[in-house]
Amino acid sequence: MPLFVAGLSHKNAPVALREQLAVEEDKLRELLLDLQGGDALREVVVLSTCNRVEVYGVAEAPGEARAVAFRHLCRQRGVELSAVEALLYTHLDADAVQHAFRVAASLDSMMVGEPQILGQVKDAFALAQACQTVGPQLHPLFSQAFSVAKRVRTETEVARHAVSVSFAAVELAKKIFDGLSRRAVLLVGAGKMSELAAKHLVEQGAFPIYVTNRTWARAQDLARALAGTAVPWEELTTALAAVDIVVTSTGATEPVITHGMVTRVMHGRRGRPLFFIDIAVPRDVEPGVDALDDVYRYDIDDLKQVVDANLRERAREAQRAEALVEREVGKFLTRQSDVEVVPTIVSLRGRLEEIRLAEVRKTLARLPEATPETRAAIDALSSAIVNKILHAPITKLRESSRAGAGRSWLELVHELFGLGRRA
Amino acid sequence: MYPSLINAAVVSYICAMGLALAYLVQRHDLVHRLAVLATLAGWATHTVSLIVRAVERGAPPLGTLPEAIWVGVWVIVLLDLLLEHRTQVRVLGAFVLPIAVLLSLKATTVRPATLAPALASAWIWIHIALAVIGIAAFVFNFVGGIMYLLQERQLKIKRPGAFYYRLPALATLDRLTFRTLALGFPFLTVGLILGALWARTAWGSAFTFDPLAFFSLVAWVIYAGTLAGRAAAGWHGRRAAYFAIAGFAALVLTLGAGLFLPGRHGS
Repeated sequence: MPLFVAGLSHKNAPVALREQLAVEEDKLRELLLDLQGGDALREVVVLSTCNRVEVYGVAEAPGEARAVAFRHLCRQRGVELSAVEALLYTHLDADAVQHAFRVAASLDSMMVGEPQILGQVKDAFALAQACQTVGPQLHPLFSQAFSVAKRVRTETEVARHAVSVSFAAVELAKKIFDGLSRRAVLLVGAGKMSELAAKHLVEQGAFPIYVTNRTWARAQDLARALAGTAVPWEELTTALAAVDIVVTSTGATEPVITHGMVTRVMHGRRGRPLFFIDIAVPRDVEPGVDALDDVYRYDIDDLKQVVDANLRERAREAQRAEALVEREVGKFLTRQSDVEVVPTIVSLRGRLEEIRLAEVRKTLARLPEATPETRAAIDALSSAIVNKILHAPITKLRESSRAGAGRSWLELVHELFGLGRRA
Repeated sequence: MYPSLINAAVVSYICAMGLALAYLVQRHDLVHRLAVLATLAGWATHTVSLIVRAVERGAPPLGTLPEAIWVGVWVIVLLDLLLEHRTQVRVLGAFVLPIAVLLSLKATTVRPATLAPALASAWIWIHIALAVIGIAAFVFNFVGGIMYLLQERQLKIKRPGAFYYRLPALATLDRLTFRTLALGFPFLTVGLILGALWARTAWGSAFTFDPLAFFSLVAWVIYAGTLAGRAAAGWHGRRAAYFAIAGFAALVLTLGAGLFLPGRHGS
């Protein structure tokens, strides 16, 4: 039975419409049960996120099923169906499989490789399972989509490189220090951005955290929030000597960390690298420190440049991921068509075997004086004829089914050999 | 049998090198897996060739300099496979295999048949074996230094390129150069001392001029200096990397001298 996906996404629908259509979980449950109650859809999964609303379904008449599903959805959300209908895209069978795989693997996302979508697809599937609207066609489709998504994540780097400035800074730190556990961090200035960067560093195991600020009270506040230690502003140089990573975000108009300061500090460090993440504008760390050995300084523009490079790297990886999805779609369809065609082949063989055995029995009954050799020969002859006859139709069935045209052939075989209605 | 086994192993190594370099450009798991397979195939053939040689000779396959280099390549490839597996630095092969291939080309072109008569004592075998292991360790010291310089450059110019994504952290690379130095140095030292002692018993003097011995002494001085600098002045990072490259250059001259200049190490 035809498989389809219909919906709209960030690619073709404005956010105003998407947010109107987005459905929360209990409403979604209601919708699924409604759709199951009708007879247009045999199986259905509804995926609703802030970037897409999609109906995955199995139906005799996909066009009609789509209309039913979105009529229900629009009525529930109080949206004019005509506003939605013009924007809907529909993919059938092989295209629907590909779409499902691409969505789960985050290749159709606004930010390619973002990790949330897989969880959202899993939730949608789990909800549909709970409502018992998933059957023999959507179940394998979604299980396979999850495993494809996992392969894309592990075998390509489409989701690996940071696309935010603060994560890019954490990745840079990892390219300098090989693991951030027990790396000491100093926050200079108490801005929101530096707090965020510090949180990412702490998540990666950085410890301890020192905070310094011109206003002592704010240093203490932020230190408390990050479970760190406040350091008086006058002791900035001493603190620099003790830490590995420095995040600066003061509102000062002149650099607060100068070339001279860093030169002196580096002297006593015996080559331990020092990494400055300078997210202040104007900058807090003198750019001249770049020339010092073992000092790495990234200002906000440098970090943006890294993010851009990461995005390019992701785009390259996305191409590889698309190829992987393409191959998986092919494999899935082959498996599916085999599953579809096997019962027919089994019953066809069974039917002919039945006829053969009956005829052999009749013939042998009329030949009581036949030797065991003769009996065996008759049996072999009949088997050979049946197999020869079956060879061509079975091959044809398998081929046409793999080519995606199996359905009409299956029905034809059922009609011709009187195999009874298929399920 | 022996030459064709060597050729087969070298061809495998060349394929592995090509694949490893391709993996550097186009990061594809399959390419890496094939590179590892080709390396393993080459190494297995290589092992058989060494066994065949040892059985033919009735002595370790270290009798001539090309043979010793061929054993060195065997150690290098083994270390490459182990380190790549343990540290998950999958681009290591792209740096190590070209060196292994260059070294092994020498093993195929020069095939002296006779063993130098001086090679009749257990001490001389130990001298050669230690030197070979030391040189293998210094190949990784060199590769670690090169990778450090590449990654450091990327981080300093702030424009992430292929190496930024593929190479490990600076701290990891610095540790690699240090550990390989610490591993290779004792082998080289004891190897040199045994060589000098042997020279005294065989030729009456420990310090007659031999081009290979001379350059290996230069390399030893460079490595000793780096170790001392590390210990006393905390040398590391870029400076240690430069010294790793200089030391390796001296080792290359050492081998070149042994292969192309007349002296006691030539066969």
